[in-house]
Amino acid sequence: MIGSIAWKNVWRNRKRSLIVIVAVLLGTVAGVFTAGLMKGWIAQRLHSVIHTEMAHIRINHPDYLLNEELVFGIPEPENLTRFLREDPRIEGFSGRTRVTAMAATARANTGIILNGIHPEEEKTVRNVHTKLIGNEGTYFDTPMQNPIVISDKTAEILRIKNYEITPEVIDSFRKAGVPEETCEKLSILLNQRFSTEKAFVKVLRQNLAHHEIKNFGSTLLAQSEHFRLRSRVVFTFTDSQGKLVYQTYKVCGVYKTNNTMFDQMNAFVLKEDLAEGAGFGPTDMHEIAVIAKEDTDVDALRNDMRALFPALSILSWKDLSPEAAMMTEFMDLWYLVIMGFILFALAFGIINTMLMAILERIKELGMLMAIGMNRRRVFRMIMLETVFLTLTGAVAGMGVGAIIIALTGKTGLNFSSVSEGFEAMGWSAHIFPEIDAGFFVMVTLLVILTGILSSIVPARKALSLNPVEAIRSE
Amino acid sequence: MSSIEIKNLVKIYNGSAIQVKAVNEVSLSIEQGEFTAIVGPSGSGKTTLLNLIGGLDVPTSGSIIVDKTDLSTLSRKQRVDYRLYNIGFVFQAYNLIPVLTARENVSFILEMQGVPKAKIADRAREILEQVGLGERMNSRPNQLSGGQQQRVAVARALASKPKYVIADEPTANLDTKSTENLLDIMEELNRKENITFLFSTHDQRVVNKARRIIVLEDGKIVKDQRKE
Repeated sequence: MIGSIAWKNVWRNRKRSLIVIVAVLLGTVAGVFTAGLMKGWIAQRLHSVIHTEMAHIRINHPDYLLNEELVFGIPEPENLTRFLREDPRIEGFSGRTRVTAMAATARANTGIILNGIHPEEEKTVRNVHTKLIGNEGTYFDTPMQNPIVISDKTAEILRIKNYEITPEVIDSFRKAGVPEETCEKLSILLNQRFSTEKAFVKVLRQNLAHHEIKNFGSTLLAQSEHFRLRSRVVFTFTDSQGKLVYQTYKVCGVYKTNNTMFDQMNAFVLKEDLAEGAGFGPTDMHEIAVIAKEDTDVDALRNDMRALFPALSILSWKDLSPEAAMMTEFMDLWYLVIMGFILFALAFGIINTMLMAILERIKELGMLMAIGMNRRRVFRMIMLETVFLTLTGAVAGMGVGAIIIALTGKTGLNFSSVSEGFEAMGWSAHIFPEIDAGFFVMVTLLVILTGILSSIVPARKALSLNPVEAIRSE
Repeated sequence: MSSIEIKNLVKIYNGSAIQVKAVNEVSLSIEQGEFTAIVGPSGSGKTTLLNLIGGLDVPTSGSIIVDKTDLSTLSRKQRVDYRLYNIGFVFQAYNLIPVLTARENVSFILEMQGVPKAKIADRAREILEQVGLGERMNSRPNQLSGGQQQRVAVARALASKPKYVIADEPTANLDTKSTENLLDIMEELNRKENITFLFSTHDQRVVNKARRIIVLEDGKIVKDQRKE
């Protein structure tokens, strides 16, 4: 009955209660959405850490981590690969050879790591094959000799990327309903090539109005981007005998991940091609990347492998990227801190509203105490009323927040205006918010706690009443 | 055998400048089943005396012994329980819980007493029918007239079958018809259930119904008259 009275009391002054409920609702929506955005962002970063950069587990010769010399290959890998093939917890693995090289074209050069891979094995642990850009590139599905997949960033550095407005680009703009005036302006630039994005954007600014660049600039940039596939890139590196050697590769595909640093550092070639250039044997490998079927199996799998192969360095992604691991654990707490701050601020409004409600009901509270309602029941009634008031807004807020996250989680939120800064640190600029049920449970508990704490001041006010005086009050 | 024994009861209120002796050396015995009106001018100490007997207030000196228990020896928690299990209160301004229906207002006190839920519904219906509100038990106070609200208050006071009902000017806000109706109900319950009724009142109609009239002036009993 006390619960029923408390709930009904919430709706005595609908307008006042609704103001608090709406405030709690908005605060909860803000908290849930912020948490969803950050959670989605971190999930994407973690996905990138595991499925693009590091895999779940990485196995190396222990000395290779200290000094990436070619001689520190994984010793006698047969037993290890047999284990990796047979353990049911493992989704896939890929053995790689790695060489640090200097890449050069006729126009530029850069330092890079050549990853010698078996494409089909590599697909099971690293998603670079899904990150190809441009229409013509492939992930080693080509008859060409010495194919190489490089990143968009490397292509830019090596100047094998250019910008050109082709008749097809203008046609696609016309079909998309771009004004004829803009298309005519673009026609002036037909078939002109620009080797850098900066030069291309400069010419666009000279020829197009500000609003045209604002509306169509990013699409134009993406559609005008061309990679000179089949370009030759010469790599200079020290082979397994310590001799300086040269090897030429032809670009067969260009990829782009969310991590510019990773992109800039890594190029992929066929393992046998690199073996030929660097003098590796067919079973040589410098690292093996492993993906487990379940994230929860990773620690146990790592420990089992360490016990079986004590001579090897076997590290999980948490060991390799402790900041990413710490972030996931810390962020779960951080979401609650955000909600805590929001609820702390709202608590003042809740306390104020409840105090007003108590002051309006002094006579009634006096009567209840007079007829035998003890202090515990009075406190419980006010506490429940405060919790109901807060929880109503919070539940509605969680519902609205969940709907917003569900909607934006499908399309994602594009922060491309600041993408360069994000991607330099390995963070995606296109964020897909997400949230889990556990967060809502925690928020609900936090809201109940806020309600209980907010009820203390009004409850103390009520408990301080003298029933005789309270009954006489007007 | 007396059920309430009051000896040399004094209640002094300390104001900012003066002391007010609201009850002054009152000694009194009230027997089980009495239907007693305490009358007197405003400020004569009627309400203070009822509050002291009801355990709502504590005396400055003197004693109130109810069924061999000295109220002055009770802790605050024990006084709350004493009120809950022994006293039914009826207030001048009805003081019902506005968000609850008549039935819920009556049931609430039974629930606080720990009466099993199955019995609460039956008892609430029974007592509301007794006060003539069987048809209105699902109405909220704002849907009832003043007389009907006071009858709900009486039903609430009597629901748990207390030994004593303390009613502070229960008819002050009622019209003649409602007053007579309410007094008839209370008198009937008094006779049937042998519940002791103590009223404070200015209302001659209540005085006429009472079987004992105690007159207070300046906190002292100046007349204590029993009717045959």
